[in-house]
Amino acid sequence: MLYRVCHITEYLYAQPVSQCYNLAHIIPRTSHRQKCMSTDISVTPNVASKSIRDDYFGNRAYHFEIQRAHEKLILKATSKVETRAQLFNAKLDAGTTCEDAIRQVKYGSESDCIFAREFLLDSPMIKVNEALRAYAAPLFTPKKPLLQAALELTQKIFKEFTYCSEATTIATPLDEVLKNKKGVCQDFAHLQIACLRALGIPAKYVSGYLETLPPPGQEKLVGSDASHAWLSVFCPGQGWVEFDPTNNCIVGDQHILTAWGRDYYDVTPLKGVIFGGGESPVMNVSVDVARL
Amino acid sequence: MKKFTYRPEAQYNDTISADGSIQPHWQYVLKGLSAMGADAFRERQNKAERILRDDGATYNVYSEQQSQDQSWKLDLVPSVIASSEWAKIESGLIERAELFNLLLRDLYGSKELLRTGVIPPEALFLHRGFLRPCHGVFLPGEQQLILHATDLVKNEGEYCVLTDRTQSPSGAGYALENRTVMSRVLPSLYRDSNVHRLATYFQKLRTTLTSLCTTQDQPRVVVLTPGPHNEAYFEHAYLANYLGFHLVQSGDLIVRNGYVWMKSFDSLSRVDVILRRVDDSYCDPVELRGDSQLGVPNLLEVARAGRVVIANPLGSGVLENPVFLKYLPAISQALLGREPRLRSVETLWLGDEHDLHRVLNNVDQWVIKPIYRGSGQRSQLVAELDASAKNDLLATLKDQGHNYVAQPLLNAGHLPCFVGEQLVPRPGILRSFSVAYERSYSVMPGGLTRVAAELSRFTISNQAGAFSKDTWVVASEPERTSIAPLPGQPTSMRDADTISLPSRVVENLFWMGRYAERAEASMRLLRTVFILLNAEEPVSPRVREILLVAVSEIMDLVPSFKGAKPELIQNPGDELLRAISDGTRLGSVRSNLNAMLYCSDESKELLSSDTLRVINDVRDALQALDNDFKDGGSSAPEEALDPLVTALMALSGLSQESMLRGVGWRFMQIGRRLERSVQTSCLIEQLLGDEANEQDQSILIQALLMTLENLISYRRRYRARMGVQSSLDLVMLDTSNPRSLLFQLNEMTEHLQALPHKTEVRHEIALEERCALEARTLVQLSQLKALSTRTNGERAHLKKQLAKLRDLMAVASQAVSDKYFDHKTSSQQLVRSAAGE
Repeated sequence: MLYRVCHITEYLYAQPVSQCYNLAHIIPRTSHRQKCMSTDISVTPNVASKSIRDDYFGNRAYHFEIQRAHEKLILKATSKVETRAQLFNAKLDAGTTCEDAIRQVKYGSESDCIFAREFLLDSPMIKVNEALRAYAAPLFTPKKPLLQAALELTQKIFKEFTYCSEATTIATPLDEVLKNKKGVCQDFAHLQIACLRALGIPAKYVSGYLETLPPPGQEKLVGSDASHAWLSVFCPGQGWVEFDPTNNCIVGDQHILTAWGRDYYDVTPLKGVIFGGGESPVMNVSVDVARL
Repeated sequence: MKKFTYRPEAQYNDTISADGSIQPHWQYVLKGLSAMGADAFRERQNKAERILRDDGATYNVYSEQQSQDQSWKLDLVPSVIASSEWAKIESGLIERAELFNLLLRDLYGSKELLRTGVIPPEALFLHRGFLRPCHGVFLPGEQQLILHATDLVKNEGEYCVLTDRTQSPSGAGYALENRTVMSRVLPSLYRDSNVHRLATYFQKLRTTLTSLCTTQDQPRVVVLTPGPHNEAYFEHAYLANYLGFHLVQSGDLIVRNGYVWMKSFDSLSRVDVILRRVDDSYCDPVELRGDSQLGVPNLLEVARAGRVVIANPLGSGVLENPVFLKYLPAISQALLGREPRLRSVETLWLGDEHDLHRVLNNVDQWVIKPIYRGSGQRSQLVAELDASAKNDLLATLKDQGHNYVAQPLLNAGHLPCFVGEQLVPRPGILRSFSVAYERSYSVMPGGLTRVAAELSRFTISNQAGAFSKDTWVVASEPERTSIAPLPGQPTSMRDADTISLPSRVVENLFWMGRYAERAEASMRLLRTVFILLNAEEPVSPRVREILLVAVSEIMDLVPSFKGAKPELIQNPGDELLRAISDGTRLGSVRSNLNAMLYCSDESKELLSSDTLRVINDVRDALQALDNDFKDGGSSAPEEALDPLVTALMALSGLSQESMLRGVGWRFMQIGRRLERSVQTSCLIEQLLGDEANEQDQSILIQALLMTLENLISYRRRYRARMGVQSSLDLVMLDTSNPRSLLFQLNEMTEHLQALPHKTEVRHEIALEERCALEARTLVQLSQLKALSTRTNGERAHLKKQLAKLRDLMAVASQAVSDKYFDHKTSSQQLVRSAAGE
C-alpha cells in the first residue's frame, strides 16, 4: 500500500523562545514490511542547522536548532511510504510454544535471541511488577503457541479497557492504567509490553500512524488523525510480530510505522530544550494519512 | 626530642618483609622521619596544612548540610613503592587501560562480546551508564578511552584492582598538589629519595588533549566543570590552570551551527576539545538527561559529527559497571588473547543465579555493591548491618539482584601514618592514573594514596573522613631528568586565550571588585561611627543621628536608622553589629563579603596564589568576627573590623600588583572604581548634605575624612579647622588622592577605553564611556563655593550633583553588563519527562 503521511506539530509559547534544540522522530523508518520513499520536512521559523541520522534502534532521528526568537514553532513532515502486511504465516496456532519461547530467549545463543533480551528489561517508562504479570499469566500456558497467547492478550486488553484520552497523561504509571482500565494507545501498548516482559517475553514499543478510511462495511478504527502506537513481540524462530491492542488486531498494511524502541521515551515524536518560552506551552498535532 | 617509632604488626603490612625487617625502600624514609622527631614532624604537618589551605585545596563533602569548605587532608608520611615493583604495576595498568579501551569500543560498536556470549546482554543493557544515544560515536583514532583510573589495594603482597574509574576520573590534581606540598615541607627527604616525578604525566595529558583535535593547529581545549558547588572544584580549577586551559561551566558553552562555542565577553570562540568533569548523562539535555542544567544542548550531536572531541567520551561511564570484573578474564581472552596481568577483586554478579545462591549461602562475608554509582547507593558490608537492615538487603537482592555485585572484603596493606605523636598503621588504597599517549597509555608514577581514618573502616573514601598521602615511587638511582624540559610552572595560555575570557568569568570579576569595595566602604564608615560614638567627648544628638542614618543609607539597610525611635538612636550597638555580621541581611558586611567570595570562587583560576591566600584571610577574619561579637560585642568593636579592612586592602593591593593586566583585571578595576565613586558620593552627601552648626560640621567633616583615610593629609595640608570647601576639594577634585571622586572616574575611563571595541564604529563613544565622561566633566567643572552654599538647611546643589553622578554610574554599570556579560535565560524541556536514561 502506498501512503502519503503529513504530520504537523505546532507549539505556541506564552513568551518568546530565544533559541531551541530539538530532536524529532517523525521520519518513517524502513523495516521488513515498509519502505519510506521520501520525506519532506519544513520548520518555521527557519532552522539554523539540522541533521538526520539513524539512531541506536535504527530509527531516523531529525535534529534541528533554531537561533532566532519565536513564539510559535511549526514542524511539518510529509512522507511517502510503501507498506505491506507482516510476513509471518497468519496461522498463529502452529508456532513456537510459550515455554519454548521463554526458554530459548533465556538460554538461546542465536544473536537475535541475545539482542532481544534488551527488550525484556525495565525501561524508562515501563517497570514490571507482579500485578502486571498476574494479569496476563493465565493466557500464557506452557504449550500454547506464543503468538496465539499474545493475540489473546491483545484481545483481552481491547475488551477490558476503555479508550479515553482524558484519563491519562504521558506520566501516568502503568499501575494506575491497570487499575482504572482506561487510557490511550500509548498506555495500552506500554501495558501489553509490561505484561509480556514480566513473563519473560521480549517486547518493544512501536510508534506510527494508522490509515483512518474505514473499508466498506467495517467500523472506523480508533487512532485517526493522531499518531498511533502499538507493540512488537519477539518470538524465537518467528521474529518480531506486531500487535495493536487499541484496535484488537495483528498489525497490517494500514499501520505505517515511524520508529521503535523500548518505550515511548525512546521514540518521542518531538523533544528538546528551549530557552525562554514561559509556562505551559500549547501543543497541537495534526496527522493526515492519504492513500495514493 | 620526642622520638617516634613505627612498630606495626607484621600482618598486612606493606613496610615489613617476610623476615620481619623493614623493607629496603622504606628504610630511608622511615629513618629520616624518625630522626626528625615528633615535634618537628608535627610542625611540618602544620606547615603543610597551611599551604594546602592557602592554595585553596578543598574537597567539599556532600553530607555536610551546607557545603562548607573542607580542607584537603594530607598525611606527610609518603607511601613508598620500589620502582622495581612499580614497573610491574605499571605494565599491568597499561594493559588494563588498553583492555578497557577495546571494551568501550566494542560496547558502543559491534557488540561482539555480547554476540559471542562472553558478556551476558543484561550486564550491558541494564546498566544506567550505557547511554544508547552514544552508540557509534567514536573519537578519531584508535583510542576511545583517554583517561583511566583504578583503585588498587595491596592484598597478600599483590596489587589488586578494586574499581575502575572511566567516567571523569578525579584525583590527579590532588596528587599533584600533594607532591607540591611534600616537596616544600620535606625538601631534603624528598630530594634525596629519588622520587619519580609527576610532571611528565601532565605534560602527556596536555599533549594528548591537544592532539585529539586533528583539524586545528592550536585547538582550544576547555575543562568543563559542574561549578564551585562540586566537591572537586578545587581540582578542576587547579588542573585547568596547570594545563593552561579555560575552566568553563555549562552556561559558558553554546552549540551553534554545528559547533561548540565559548561565550567570551566580546565574541564566540570555537571550542575543539572538552576535558569533561561533568558526568556524561548530564552533558546534553536534548539526548541524555532532559532535566540536566549542567550540560550543553546538542553537545552530543556535535561530538557525533566529529566537530568537538570530549574526553572521556560520553558513555564511557558504562565501563565502571563492576559486573564486567566478573567477566574480565574472558573479555581479556577475547580482546587481547590472554588473561590480564593485574588481578581484579573477585566479583560475583547477583543477577547470575549461581552467584546469587553462593552469596546468600554465606552472606555475612560479602561486600554488596550497587552496579551503578547513584546518589544514596553505597557499598555495604553485610556483617556490619543490623538485623532489619540485613533483611531489607536480602529482600532487595532476591528481587533486584541484577543491580548488585558481591565482593569479598580485602585486607588492604597497612601504611604508616602520623596520628597524634606516633606512626600507626592504617589500611591504604592507591588511585592510579593513566592517560592515552602515542597509541598506548602512560601511567602517572605513583598516584593518590588514601588511608582510612580508623583502623577498622572497610571503606576508604573522602566522605568517610579518610586522608591522603603522596605516593613515592623510589628509584635506587636518581631519575634522569634529561628527557625533555618539564613544565615546573603552569603552561602559559595562548595569547588569544588570555583575551577571550568566558563572559561569566569577567562578570564575576567585575562584581568581585564591586562587592569588595562595597564591603570596605561600609566597614570604614562603621569604624568611624564606632570611634566617634564611643569617644571620650560625646557627639551631639544631631551628629549621632546623621552618622547612623549615613550607615543605613550607604549600606542600604532595612530597617533604617532614618526616623528610628530615639531608644534605637541612643543604643544602636546591637543593630550595628547585625549590620556587620548578619549574613541574611541584605547590605550587611557579611552578605557583601559572601557575595565577593562567591565571585572569587567562580573566577578562581584567574586569581594568583597570593590572592587566594588573601581571600582565605578574608574568610578567616569573617569567621573571627563571630567570636568577637559573640557576647554582645567587644569593648572596641572598631578594632574587630581592622583585620577585615586590612585583608580587603591587601586584596585590592594584590590585584593591582600581581594580576595580569588582561581584560579580567580591567573588569575588576572597573567594578572597584565604579563602586568606590558611588560609595564616596553617597558618603559626602550623607555627611555634608545637610546644614549643621559649626561644631557639628567640624565633626562631620572629620568623620568624612577619617572614613576616606584623608584626615592626616588634610591636617598636614590645611592645619586649620575643618572647612567644607577645602575638604570637598580633597575628596572630590584632588587627583593625587586615590580616594577622590575624580581619581575613580579617571581610572574608570582609562579601563573602559582599554577594553576591546567593536571595529565597525570607531569614533562614536560607547554608552558606558559616555557616562564616565559626563561624570568626570561634572566633577571637574564643580564650583566648590556653589556646592557648599546652604539653602533651607541643606546643600541642594551638592546633593543634586552627587545624585546625578550616581545615576550616571548606574547607567554605566548597566551598559557594561548589557554589552559584555551573558544574559542567559534558563532552559526547560519541551516535553517534561520524569524518565531518563
